[in-house]
Amino acid sequence: MDSWVIGMMLGVSVFMGSIAVVGLMWAIKKGQFDDQEKFLNSALFDDVDELNDAARLEAKKKEAMRKKEYKPE
Amino acid sequence: MSEKVKCDHCHLEFSKDVMIEDDGHYFCCNGCQGVFHLLSEQGLDGFYKKLGNEKLAPPSQQYEDSSNFNAPAFYERFVTLNKDGFSEVSLVIEGIHCSACVWLNEKALINMDGVIATNINYTNNKAKIVWDDDVVKLSEIIDMIRAIGYNAYPYDASLQEEKANKERKDYYLRIAVAIFATMNMMTIMVAQYAGYFSGISESVKHILNLGEWALSTPVLFYCGWPFFKGMYYGLKTKTVNMDTLVATGSLLTYIYSIYITITRSGEAYFDSVTMIVTFVLVGKFLEALSKKSIADTLDIMSQHLVSDVKVIENEKIVTKSVGDVSVGDIIVVSAGDRVALDGEVRDGSGNFDESSLTGESDPIFKEQGDTIVSGTVSIDADLKYVATKDYANSTMSNIVSLLENAMNNKPKIQQLANKLSEYFSSTILLFSLFTFIGWYLYSSNFEHSFMIAIAVIVIACPCALALATPVATLVGLSIASKRGILFKEAAQLETMAKADVLAVDKTGTITQGRPEVVSQKRYEDFDDALLYALILHSKHPIAKAVANYIYSESLPCLEVDALKNIASQGITAMYKGKMLAGGNAKLMKTIGIDVVSESDNSEFFFAYGGKLLAKYELFDLPREDAKEAIHKIQKMGITVVMLTGDHQRSAKKVAEMVGIKQFEAELTPEQKADYINELHSKKKTVVMAGDGVNDILALASSDIAIAMGNGSDIAIEVSDVVLLNDTFSSLYDSFRISRRTFGMIKQNLGLSLVYNGITIPLAMAGYVIPLVAAISMSISSLLVVGNSMRIKLGYKD
Repeated sequence: MDSWVIGMMLGVSVFMGSIAVVGLMWAIKKGQFDDQEKFLNSALFDDVDELNDAARLEAKKKEAMRKKEYKPE
Repeated sequence: MSEKVKCDHCHLEFSKDVMIEDDGHYFCCNGCQGVFHLLSEQGLDGFYKKLGNEKLAPPSQQYEDSSNFNAPAFYERFVTLNKDGFSEVSLVIEGIHCSACVWLNEKALINMDGVIATNINYTNNKAKIVWDDDVVKLSEIIDMIRAIGYNAYPYDASLQEEKANKERKDYYLRIAVAIFATMNMMTIMVAQYAGYFSGISESVKHILNLGEWALSTPVLFYCGWPFFKGMYYGLKTKTVNMDTLVATGSLLTYIYSIYITITRSGEAYFDSVTMIVTFVLVGKFLEALSKKSIADTLDIMSQHLVSDVKVIENEKIVTKSVGDVSVGDIIVVSAGDRVALDGEVRDGSGNFDESSLTGESDPIFKEQGDTIVSGTVSIDADLKYVATKDYANSTMSNIVSLLENAMNNKPKIQQLANKLSEYFSSTILLFSLFTFIGWYLYSSNFEHSFMIAIAVIVIACPCALALATPVATLVGLSIASKRGILFKEAAQLETMAKADVLAVDKTGTITQGRPEVVSQKRYEDFDDALLYALILHSKHPIAKAVANYIYSESLPCLEVDALKNIASQGITAMYKGKMLAGGNAKLMKTIGIDVVSESDNSEFFFAYGGKLLAKYELFDLPREDAKEAIHKIQKMGITVVMLTGDHQRSAKKVAEMVGIKQFEAELTPEQKADYINELHSKKKTVVMAGDGVNDILALASSDIAIAMGNGSDIAIEVSDVVLLNDTFSSLYDSFRISRRTFGMIKQNLGLSLVYNGITIPLAMAGYVIPLVAAISMSISSLLVVGNSMRIKLGYKD
């Protein structure tokens, strides 16, 4: 076996692992683990509704930001 | 009796005929009915599905006017503008029971126009709400929360908490990277070490080294950044600390390993870099965790403070914020209220529980002209009093500010390991420098001398030294926690091991905190059921103790009438036309019976039809194991002192019973703290054990504060050690375990120093080949770990 195979395998596995770590870090930064109970409960109970709510909230925020920017003084 | 039905909102059960029937639904009150309809209208009835069988508290319908929340003063204090220009407030939401409640609150708020984001923390019921102030006002948001059956009040998400949270998050991020890299590094190391012994081609080894290099880089520069920062601040204040050694050690090892990798000569040590950084980082994180609890303590303390009071203004009762009350205002106190400001009783009378200040368990009777102190609780008093001090100068807020002070200036005994590592760090750095100079002068070969100098640092790298304390404390902590002793911070084991004085509170700590009948004297034969029927209705601790004492299952239930509680005296009732009376000597005198009160103990007399039938003596007995444990603690060479707010006589009696020679009685919370500070000035290390609010100042001033498990929340928050099983023998155990652990730490440090004493000269002489370095590093760490396990000997469970 050529050593480049080892190098490639090592590289790929570390790269894939780091994607997971970056994902985890993103989630920590966004505060997804701030509330342990809620985080576990949402894994159990969150449904399409909750996802829709989250999306709606994002849209609402964008809309509010837009309005703020174009506010006539 | 009619059948019971569940309220369709709060799920509490009541008999059917008192319920409000509404279209096939049943409600216990208008509040529940209102909320139920509101939720249906808003399409939020999914809440009930999520709620399942959980019960809720019915919504209250009396709230202060929510327009207060729009006042500029309120905005200034609690509302902040975030970077997008939206308003943000932190609230504590009352009435959250389960995840369904969180869901409902979030959903209801999200549905409101202008609310940008909500985040409710289920664990501590704190919520952060972001909204657009141009669209919706805060008062409307609060109204919505109230409309769905909850209440909200703001809290100052003071910088302190924010900062602690941010710091914690920062550590999570760094630790996530460090652990990921270390785990991957381990798999590569298996290949490396296997290859070392069974042969490995140079090119494969090179690839593995490159992989390690890639993994260790983020660990050193991202995860290890706090150490570089620590080193920088250390250098600024001209001190060499553990950070300096970790930072220089790992950085030089890293550079050395890069050199090895590029030149393909010898062994790289990238694994040491990641391991050291990860290990020490986790230790630092544990330290940061304990800081968070201080912020929480102050938040909890502020919950103990009253925020508004009822004041008489223009002959009307108005609710005012405590800050707005001025000296001379008349304040109304009802049964169950906590007093917010110091004052003097103007009208009315009743009993107060002053145990939060004095620790004394007996209720204190107050009438016109008596002073009334903030922080005490009215048991049955309904009275009016004049404020003699404003809020900022009242006793309770004074205690809070003293507490904040004490917690921020808590004495820290310098830890042995830190002290040692400081000398160790500077010595090693000097050695390495001398080695380099010496070899350079001797051989004039820069590269060779540099490598040897680095080898000195690498081999001395604080693996064993860094392990010495944490491993021993970890073992100590786990033994302690198995016995219900929780140390909040690892370093406290060491501080506790060095303690010279143990100060203990009396009521609730040495004693059980509730009076018990110690003797009974029956003057005439009577039926216990009579006495039981009388005192069953009293909430007074003495009556309760007597009731417990005479209770048996065969007691018939007698009906008495005209029951009357006489404040500070006792209780009377009528049975078959004759008067039953139970209480103290004063009550007996009132009803015309002459009794002699001569005992040190609390007395309870019982009379029926004007005849004295019995006398009970009660005493707050010491805990069963107190005497033995105190004796053992004294034998360890620790002076035991009892501090109490109770009067001299009862303090002396208890002290004698448990064998304490030194005691101080009639101390205020401040005096207790002063006493401890005085001990500090005599260079004593003080452990304080207490349970109540009256002890918190002393607890916060002591080196180690121990709270008994059933103590008040605030005492547990302030303390460093919590005894869950609430016994004195676990207090003794905590001393024993900490001393044993500390002994192990010293042994471990000794071991690692001996190891370094042997290997460093070898390294300086240039004899350390990589294999020896690798093996000896592992052996020294194993020795330290193995030695620490010995703490477990003698603790079988």
